Amino acid sequence: MKKKNRTILALAVLLVLLAGAWYLRSAGYVGQEPVQTSAAVDLENVPPFSGEPYVAVNNNVPSFLPGELTTSSYEVYSPLDDLGRCGVASACVGVDLMPTEERESIGQVKPSGWQTVKYDCVDGKYLYNRCHLIGFQLTGENANKQNLITGTRYMNVEGMLPFENMVTDYVKETENHVLYRVSPVYDGDDLVARGVQMEALSVEDEGEGVSFNVYVYNSQPGVEIDYATGESWLEGEARPEEDEPEVSYILNTSSKKFHLPTCSGASSMKKENREEYTGSREDLIAQGYEPCGTCKP
Amino acid sequence: MRIAACIDDRGGMLFNRRRQSQDRLLRQDLLSEAAGGPLWMSPYSQGQFSEFPEQIHAAEDFPRRAGAGELCFFEDVDPAPWLEAAEEVVLYHWNRTYPFDRRFPLPLTGWNLERREEFAGSSHEKITKEVYRR
Repeated sequence: MKKKNRTILALAVLLVLLAGAWYLRSAGYVGQEPVQTSAAVDLENVPPFSGEPYVAVNNNVPSFLPGELTTSSYEVYSPLDDLGRCGVASACVGVDLMPTEERESIGQVKPSGWQTVKYDCVDGKYLYNRCHLIGFQLTGENANKQNLITGTRYMNVEGMLPFENMVTDYVKETENHVLYRVSPVYDGDDLVARGVQMEALSVEDEGEGVSFNVYVYNSQPGVEIDYATGESWLEGEARPEEDEPEVSYILNTSSKKFHLPTCSGASSMKKENREEYTGSREDLIAQGYEPCGTCKP
Repeated sequence: MRIAACIDDRGGMLFNRRRQSQDRLLRQDLLSEAAGGPLWMSPYSQGQFSEFPEQIHAAEDFPRRAGAGELCFFEDVDPAPWLEAAEEVVLYHWNRTYPFDRRFPLPLTGWNLERREEFAGSSHEKITKEVYRR
């Protein structure tokens, strides 16, 4: 084969391989492990938050399949969905995955529903943390947007951290592996997860050391959350009303009508009666103005 | 009878019928606390002491069997009913938070802290040992 043909063939093979890799990744497959993209928890079966950070699921028995048991370390993260939300993150945690360097900044990641908001009743003030699905101490993932969700301080510290500590210390002490899966649980198109399901099973001793299946509430005592958007307010207080958007109108100070700037009534208005206004429709009505019957602003 | 137990920052001992954590150097320290005498425990606890079979006495009703001054290691058995009769309590603090569904009965009202020591475990940065007596 001529050199030119060999080069073309090599490029074609490379393109096929790259396309295949892209397909596997976009379809949720990395390496040999399929990604479970949705949580097994049905929110209708989860008791309402009552002040305890987590509740057992399926009698605390994780739902790993026999074929998932492996003593080879891996970590898999789901691609973000159309709403920019994280999916299930899975790992077989071994000492070889654990971080050997200090944690880096993750502040550049804005998970779905992210809001920067502070309350005095929250430890550290900030309501939301960028919550690792698979904790940094387990796999050393830093600013991986497929592994960071908008989570309350309470969920992060009181709910998820104790389980991460338990798995980390077990792996460090025994050098065994732990199958580990964290599934964010959303209600419909909510941008903020209602909670996360955490499952773990130690492999070499078949769950004698570590075995759990829990749902951790993405709640914060004393704070109400709109999970659709991430907006929040203090418990017992009225939800802040959304500011009405400001719109430009043309006012007729004589007839007390207001028009859209494109309305024919606005262009034919006498100059001395004409006034430009930018603000809310409700404010204008409160000032005694009526909407034009033609352009219906 | 002397009581020994491991607890996390919230007094937790056990979650889902499993110990919160374990540490090889803590086990050695526990054996040294037994001071050559028997170290009583449940069959569940015995599983992590296979390297010291001659010193371990395991039984379902181990607190009942332990004699005066003998050390009992509580993991999956509630120590609360045995506190009244105990002569000493040895608490090992993991200095970590773990999930729990069984706690050690704290505070130890009427008990005095006799000594406190810190040591690095085999996988735990700092373990704190506290010894209480009446």
